[in-house]
Amino acid sequence: MSRRILITLAFAILAYGFWRSADFQQIAAGVAVFLFGMLAMEEGFKAFTGGMLEGLLRGTTDRLWKSIGFGIVTTTLMQSSGLVSVITISFLSAGLIELAGGIGIIFGANLGTTTGAWLIAGLGLKVRIAAYAMPLLAFGVILVFQRSKRLKGIGYTLTGLGFLFLGIHYMKEGFDAFKDTFDLAAYAVPGLLGLLLYAGIGIAATVIMQSSHATLLITITALASHQLTYDNALALAIGANIGSTVTAIIGSFGANIDGKRLALSHLMFNLTTAIVAIVLIRQLRWSVDVLSQGLGIAANDYTLKLALFHTLFNLLGVALMLPFIGQLVGFLQRFVQMREPTADAPRYLNEAALQVPAAAVEATRKEIRHLYQNAFEIIAQGLALRPETIDSTQDLARAVAATTRIEPIDIDELYEQRVKGLHSAIIEFISRVQAQELPEYRARELNALREASRNIVEAVKDTKHMYKNLRRFAASPYPDIRQQYDSLRSELALILREIGELASGIGDADTILSLDGAKVRLEETDRRINITLTRLIRDQRITAHMATSLMNDCAYAYGIGKNLVDMAQTLFALRERSLKDAEQKLTLDETDIEKVISARR
Amino acid sequence: MKTKKLLSKLADLLNADRRAQIENVRCIKEILKKLKKKERDLKEKLDEEDDPDKRAEIDAKLRVIYAQRTKGVGILQELRGDGCTPA
Repeated sequence: MSRRILITLAFAILAYGFWRSADFQQIAAGVAVFLFGMLAMEEGFKAFTGGMLEGLLRGTTDRLWKSIGFGIVTTTLMQSSGLVSVITISFLSAGLIELAGGIGIIFGANLGTTTGAWLIAGLGLKVRIAAYAMPLLAFGVILVFQRSKRLKGIGYTLTGLGFLFLGIHYMKEGFDAFKDTFDLAAYAVPGLLGLLLYAGIGIAATVIMQSSHATLLITITALASHQLTYDNALALAIGANIGSTVTAIIGSFGANIDGKRLALSHLMFNLTTAIVAIVLIRQLRWSVDVLSQGLGIAANDYTLKLALFHTLFNLLGVALMLPFIGQLVGFLQRFVQMREPTADAPRYLNEAALQVPAAAVEATRKEIRHLYQNAFEIIAQGLALRPETIDSTQDLARAVAATTRIEPIDIDELYEQRVKGLHSAIIEFISRVQAQELPEYRARELNALREASRNIVEAVKDTKHMYKNLRRFAASPYPDIRQQYDSLRSELALILREIGELASGIGDADTILSLDGAKVRLEETDRRINITLTRLIRDQRITAHMATSLMNDCAYAYGIGKNLVDMAQTLFALRERSLKDAEQKLTLDETDIEKVISARR
Repeated sequence: MKTKKLLSKLADLLNADRRAQIENVRCIKEILKKLKKKERDLKEKLDEEDDPDKRAEIDAKLRVIYAQRTKGVGILQELRGDGCTPA
């Protein structure tokens, strides 16, 4: 409701302004074209978030200085701290980067965004920038119509840049004409009141336009045409800095707890920087004057001095906050907390992770690992073994043989509580990711992950079926039937152990190829039990009823093992695409398994 | 470098399929190397092992690795168009 009122109010103010002044129209159109240019550039850069940016982000967050450097470089290139924040929050939500790394990127983005003021003040106002806009727009639009995603991305970036230049041009022209009819500088407010008032206006303008660049552009062009005093312009720049945190805050609404912490750290950083800038405004002004002299900036070139001020106070902010980054992370982790997540609630699937395909795939992979952890505990209980026993180095056959009594458990209930909801959430999330435009290999990855999630569900369901008879016969006084059930239990427990080793990277099972051994063993166990079964019935050592149960359970055990191995060969595959593909080519299929079994004979 | 060699390198660079094939060969060779090392280690273990159950376990692993290596060499042959079998 309030949003509708605000939009109506904005429309009314703009319409009144357009009716009163043609120059105001030009200024407003300049802002609109500039903002459209920013949107087009963001769209263009999104085309490159398919792999390159993610690869860089992963490789550049292990050290703080690298994170800061990444923030500076990407924001300078993209001229949008908003997109960098959204990608960072997305990666943080998927658990791909650490909170400290994310904070480093945000610090860097704040520094990178200061290059915008230099571009507007140094290039936008000093050269006839509209002349560059035209070819950029013409070339850009041709590329936008190309099929290739990469060319399309370049097209959007060039078009965006063209619109940015055009917007700057229109605003400059508008303000130049505006000053002949209207003197905004008459509304200048001096002193501390002016500082606070204009900082407030800067915040409001940036929140409304969702772009600190647009606020800076208005500020610099108004300053250049003397419609604004230098002091008030400085205050607007401080306000724009605080307002720019809005994108990150909005982006964090759908993020997990670390995403929310990052948005809060962004706000804290920009607020602290602003307070320091307001308190030290005289000293900063003096420093700008001294540095301007050194850099050869004319004493009356207030636009470049504003750009220098913007850089200086952001640098001061980083210098002040950097030594306390560890404490900041500690504080955020203590202050921003969430209820302990339940085992059945998704931990990684959230709106923020949906924003970038790589983050979405990684979030899905981590959630399926979570699902597997839940399933592992249920299957272990279904085999009447403790999860710790499977994870240890104990002799599994001996642990199985030591079972004297099997406690009753309700696998149906455990499945409903810990598997079904999570599996449904994973399937829904994958469908939402696939509704977006994705590179082909990402779509394939998601299909394989959906299959892995289904494998886990099937394994738990088969465990439920097998458990009924297993409870009856695995602690049976008839040694022959018990022996067969024990061998099924040992085999499945061994597969669970090997998957655990593969997941943690310890032990013999170091690649998905090591699980091929399990496939061969499963096949051999199935055949051996079926042969033994015939002999046991013939010799009347087990009843026909027992034999039927064992035959069914043998099929269930085979299903559990096969589903688990298939799941693990997808879920725990290598990250590097080409190596992963090569490894998957070498895994043994049914014909190869048959050959291995025949070789033994 | 001779012009012909340079041109062939340039052609490889521009041909995406060829590039993917080269990458494929590199990866399979890397995996085969690791498998060979694993096979050697297991053979050493087998020589030192007396327990028949443990020996059977190692032997089963060796058979799987041999099958994987055979498969890998086959794929490599197809990719390169030459012929060799695992040692």
